[in-house]
Amino acid sequence: MPATAVVLGQELRDLWLGGRALVLSLAFSLLLSAIAYLVATNRALNFLEQRETVNLTLQVAVAVGALLALLTAADAISGERERRTLESLLLTPASRLAIVAGKLVASLSLWLAAFAITIAYVWFLGRGVGIAGDALASGIVVGTLLAIFLASLGILISLFATSNRGSLSLSLFLLLALFAPTQLPSAATSGWAGDLLLRVNPVTAGEHYIGRIVVDGRGWSEDIAWLTSPLIAAAIAAALALAIGAQRLNLSGGASA
Amino acid sequence: MRRLLNAALACAATATLAPAAYAGPRTTIAVDRTTVATKLGQTFLIQSTVTNHGGTAASGLIAHLNVLSLRPGLYVDPEDWSSHRTRYLAPIPAGGATTITWKLAAVNAGDLGVYIAVLPRGGPAVEPIAGPLVHVTISDRRTLDAGGILPLAVGIPALLALTTAALRISRRRTTRASSSGAGALRS
Repeated sequence: MPATAVVLGQELRDLWLGGRALVLSLAFSLLLSAIAYLVATNRALNFLEQRETVNLTLQVAVAVGALLALLTAADAISGERERRTLESLLLTPASRLAIVAGKLVASLSLWLAAFAITIAYVWFLGRGVGIAGDALASGIVVGTLLAIFLASLGILISLFATSNRGSLSLSLFLLLALFAPTQLPSAATSGWAGDLLLRVNPVTAGEHYIGRIVVDGRGWSEDIAWLTSPLIAAAIAAALALAIGAQRLNLSGGASA
Repeated sequence: MRRLLNAALACAATATLAPAAYAGPRTTIAVDRTTVATKLGQTFLIQSTVTNHGGTAASGLIAHLNVLSLRPGLYVDPEDWSSHRTRYLAPIPAGGATTITWKLAAVNAGDLGVYIAVLPRGGPAVEPIAGPLVHVTISDRRTLDAGGILPLAVGIPALLALTTAALRISRRRTTRASSSGAGALRS
């Protein structure tokens, strides 16, 4: 069995049988339940057009699902360092590349579980208007790209972080910075600079693409250009995480390591 | 005498301040339909055409959309209905027209009126030109059937909570069994 698969299996066991991933998934499902219940029963939110309701739920699911992958990745190496379990892992015959790749893929399992949970909610909210299929398909594409990008970013931060707290804090800060433009008023993003900001930022571009498909009912290929930055960001971040991890994974962390 | 003087001054001010390009009463507004029937939560479009019947180009015009309830007791916030209610129009050539599409969201159920007014950007206070009233009837409906949400909203977290609890119990038993096995070996 390849070393990556062995590391991945061990990581998945630690995450899922250890209970941490299940607790995070439970928290995720509680959040989606609260949103779904509010949009379905609250009079103020209920007037939202049904497509917008699905869009709101899906965007929250993608954002929080990617956050779970990021948090798991940010803890993957710096956490092992602090728990003093990294040394035994480094002593195994598995290469550093295999260790980093296994941890990266294992952290993505959180996103896949989050998406599996999302399916029921999106189906419930989108039934009757025939958008559940398109919404879920766009959600898995955009969410996977964002999860790969953010998890790779988390691994990179975790590689260099000297403390687990620092790794998690910086990862959360970066995530908030990436999500901040989604809260800008529409007038602020109407000019060329605003449009460029939305297109360059993989998070805003991905969420915009979902909105185009779910709310505006556009075809998959019509706004495919919006997927460029999530795709490039995912590819570059994953390549960097693997390449740097293969060389810089060590016991001490820090930039000079 | 004083009244005459004031009237003459007012006429002079109007003539001076009024932008030459403002078409005034020579501008008309038409809409593509005068009735809309839709459901709460839906969006709909209204197209208005501003025509310049004058001999010169009409520039500096603003078209503004307004929404009001035709029955008392219903509060309407036009901002909720359309996020882009004011349009600054490009100059309309003599005899030309411009079409504006307004996207509206049906936010309240009931009988509502929608109209578009055109007014100049500058100059003296003049009466806006209003287009015909569009009578909008919004039927009340919940955009989502809330029935069935509670089992889903409770069921999925409950399932995950049960799985988590079962896993913890299983792990505790395994740990206890292995520690008692180790104790037996030591003794």
